[in-house]
Amino acid sequence: MSKPTVNTKAFLGRAKKIASDFWNGKPHEERRLGDLYCDKTGLYKHREWRGVKDTMYYFNNIWLYNYAHMIGDMVKYSGPKGPVVFLKGVWRYRWLGQTYLPVMHWFDRGLEGMRGETLRASAWHYRAMVSETIRQFMRMLDADQKTGGSKELYDKTIAHDETVWGGIFYPWRDRMDDVPLQMIPYFVTCHVNNHVVLNYIDAAQSIGLPGDPCPMCQAEAGIFLQDDVPEYYPIVITSNEACDGSVGTSVLQDWMMNRPLFAMPQPMQFDDPLVQEHCAKEIEECWKFIEEQTGEPFSWDELKKHLERQNKLQEFEWEKWEVAANTDYYPINGVAQALYRIYQSQDGDRDIWHETDARVKKILEKCVEKKINTFPKTRHRMIAWSCAPLYYSHWCTWAYNCWGLNCVINMDSLMFNMTIRTDTYEHTLQDMALYHEWAPMRRMAVGGMHHIFELWEYMEKFHCDMVMMYDQLQCKGMQGVHGLFEDEFRARNIHAIWMPHALPDKRTVSRSEIRGIINDYMTTIMHEEPLDPTLLEFDDSEGW
Amino acid sequence: MKDLKHLIEMEDLLQQAHNKLVKEAREEGRKAIGYTCYFMPEVLLDLEGCFGVRLRAPNCTTPVMATYYMSGRTCHFGRSLMERALEGGYNFLDAQMATETCTVTCRFQEHLQRMDIIQNPDFFVEFTDVPFKKTENSVEHYRKQLQAHVLDSLHEKYGIDTSDEALLKAIEQHNEVCRLVSEIGSYRKLDVPTITGYEFAVIQLTTITCPKDKILPMLRETAEEMKTRKPDLKPTWKVKVCVAGAENDDPDFIKLIESCGALVVADRYCYGSLPGREEIVVQEGQSPLDAIARHYLNTSCCPRFMPQDIMRGRKQYIADLCKEYNADGLIIESNKFCEYWSYERTIDALVIPRDYDIPTCSIEKEYINSASGQLRTRFQAFVESVELKKLHSRKGADDV
Amino acid sequence: MKSVLKPLLILFGILSGLYIVLFVVFFFDLDGKALFYGVEPFLKNHYDRMKRKDPLDMEYRTDTEKYEY
Repeated sequence: MSKPTVNTKAFLGRAKKIASDFWNGKPHEERRLGDLYCDKTGLYKHREWRGVKDTMYYFNNIWLYNYAHMIGDMVKYSGPKGPVVFLKGVWRYRWLGQTYLPVMHWFDRGLEGMRGETLRASAWHYRAMVSETIRQFMRMLDADQKTGGSKELYDKTIAHDETVWGGIFYPWRDRMDDVPLQMIPYFVTCHVNNHVVLNYIDAAQSIGLPGDPCPMCQAEAGIFLQDDVPEYYPIVITSNEACDGSVGTSVLQDWMMNRPLFAMPQPMQFDDPLVQEHCAKEIEECWKFIEEQTGEPFSWDELKKHLERQNKLQEFEWEKWEVAANTDYYPINGVAQALYRIYQSQDGDRDIWHETDARVKKILEKCVEKKINTFPKTRHRMIAWSCAPLYYSHWCTWAYNCWGLNCVINMDSLMFNMTIRTDTYEHTLQDMALYHEWAPMRRMAVGGMHHIFELWEYMEKFHCDMVMMYDQLQCKGMQGVHGLFEDEFRARNIHAIWMPHALPDKRTVSRSEIRGIINDYMTTIMHEEPLDPTLLEFDDSEGW
Repeated sequence: MKDLKHLIEMEDLLQQAHNKLVKEAREEGRKAIGYTCYFMPEVLLDLEGCFGVRLRAPNCTTPVMATYYMSGRTCHFGRSLMERALEGGYNFLDAQMATETCTVTCRFQEHLQRMDIIQNPDFFVEFTDVPFKKTENSVEHYRKQLQAHVLDSLHEKYGIDTSDEALLKAIEQHNEVCRLVSEIGSYRKLDVPTITGYEFAVIQLTTITCPKDKILPMLRETAEEMKTRKPDLKPTWKVKVCVAGAENDDPDFIKLIESCGALVVADRYCYGSLPGREEIVVQEGQSPLDAIARHYLNTSCCPRFMPQDIMRGRKQYIADLCKEYNADGLIIESNKFCEYWSYERTIDALVIPRDYDIPTCSIEKEYINSASGQLRTRFQAFVESVELKKLHSRKGADDV
Repeated sequence: MKSVLKPLLILFGILSGLYIVLFVVFFFDLDGKALFYGVEPFLKNHYDRMKRKDPLDMEYRTDTEKYEY
């Protein structure tokens, strides 16, 4: 037998490499993920090949599984008529039609480049959010008087501001349901299809509202102005959280809703022990309002049961933080961590969170046990602080793939850092008041001057060496402390990237501009080379 | 009209926060207590031994240093206060009684608390939590907050007497100011008012920025003067308007409106007198603090109140004011970046002309109005439209 | 035996074919493309032309109840 020539060697080497890339997927630096995009649209020429095992996992357990469950969940939550109810909703409501269908692309964007256990654990988080979203909008549609929903269900559904914690309604969970007004039509849509919300922002401005208030509040008002909110509720509970804009929006929404409304504002100075009693009484008054309006009595047993279940969710969250903070084995990527946690902690106890946590716990334990480095290309461990851009919540997936920036934890995740005592009614009420006051975007952002700077403690706790400092341009609370952060970053010699954005409105700062800012920082200040240069610049301006 | 005797002196007092009367009071050993919002009851700061100064930043057009700290995307008022503080303009303060009643002024006051800005070693900042409702629960909460954060801290830090007797005395003085301001303001209700909106704005502002006892003699004399004041033979105005909206402590803004032919007869805005100059009534057996807490919650028409009946009732209040003060129209203003008033203004501009048939001009302004040319054009156009409407309705009445 | 096996084989063949077709749809992002170029523009057009109630025509009652407990 003759010795192989140089050409044959090269050929064999190449064949081996191709086979390896096929079987295992390409190494991170060779992936060229940017080449997969169709220009402007964010669509893929083809979806990423992640190796046989992960590609088939993605196809079977994520893509097929979720498409099937998107239909299955309609039936699960709404019975056999579910798909018909859903289609009627799609025909009637823009936020539903334009958002629900491209949901798998939302998975794609968040899970790009993920492999192995990271892919699995993160995908389960996404799956839970989709399922809970379906549950909420099916309840809206089932009770919706605009599309022929059931009057009986209408009478048994309470609407509330999305910043009112779902736990407030636990005492009635066995007989009634509560659905936030803006969580699906506004919050979720921004993540899945960022074009939709622009209609609502423009609608708000079309009646003379200036462009400078928080665009989230504008959008929430715009949904009502576009007559795009299902009529699924006889009564409403509102909140002042998280900011002046939310209060302002309430005035406009109240006009459009025109039905009994109970305002349940939270005290602003939530660190003051004197405010707790007042807040607890507000919660009790809200309960009395619900009893009076619906005729359904308050149930302590229901409240206790759900709070105890919610505490389990919090306990697991602490386990997750422990692993994220102290090891390289945390299998949940930045966007899945942030969205799942804010969704779950605000929504409260629902079965899907428990099912998901059980699945993720197994993966987490496996990673720890086998010491699986879940983000092996990590160059910097980042903490994201302040309010995130909803239209680019998956920036962290991009940042890891392009630069090795691993967003380990974020502010929203850390806000509700407590369990609730259930030993006595008084303790429960005290803790519920505090939990309620730590509303999203308040405890460590808009209102929490004393807590804003907990950033430094959490940086240390989670062993982070960089900060992604969200700079919501229309958030008066966070703009109002901009200089203090600048001073602190300089004094502490911390690498912080300011990410300007306008929460849901991509027109103010585009995704591409955000990437440009990070690229500039990484090259000019950090003097680093990208892991995947094809991701540096691409146009996804028309993408979902 | 004949000039008011004290007007020029009062105008001078408004040129800076640390004015002549404030200096005098401090030299007498009294403590100067800053505040920014109606929800910090001024009467509590006017106890013997101290006096309240509602902060302003007159003539602050470019808050450069404050923009570094608070960015250029926050309310100009809050930033201007911060700028003035950084310039040393509030170093006379002994304390700041803060409220988180709107985001940016809250942030300004948090900066005072966190940074070493006020060059006074005894200076401190104390925050009071203010409820969003007017229920019993809210009154109780507010009362406790005022006790703990205002009265107790003034007593502990500066030995101020905060007994019920002291409070009653402060209420008495406060009520006299309110009575006099209301009396002076009531001349705006006349068919041909004998005071201009500008003059009244100057008087009202001095009462919240100067020690009460020192401004009272001027108020008393002005009230006397008003009794015999005659209007101009030929009015200089074409229409009468109510101005409602966000923070406005700039009398020149009122002057601008009046220079366009609209006499300002009602001032329903932050730092204005409607509401704000109603007397505090202490019922028999009621504690003075309880009366104060109730008074400030019940009289306030701030857009941060959230209960349905109150949100909606605010529109009625403006309409009632227009009627009471014989206003032909309404100018509803908000400061740029003020979120509360952005929404309130938008809704007012839709509901009030529709449901109450009151012509309404809706504008967005800065704290100090350097863009007066644009505003002037808006106001002139509005005055013309209201005049036309008046002509039409007069003609319609004649035809009938 | 043969008569049982045949339909099973046909079913298996159909399912395998469907699986492959779905994989092709998945891999080449045909679902995304269909939604982007077909379904979404159609729906958007529908929503843009939809007749909507003007909420600003709604009455604004100022005599609502006070809820205090």
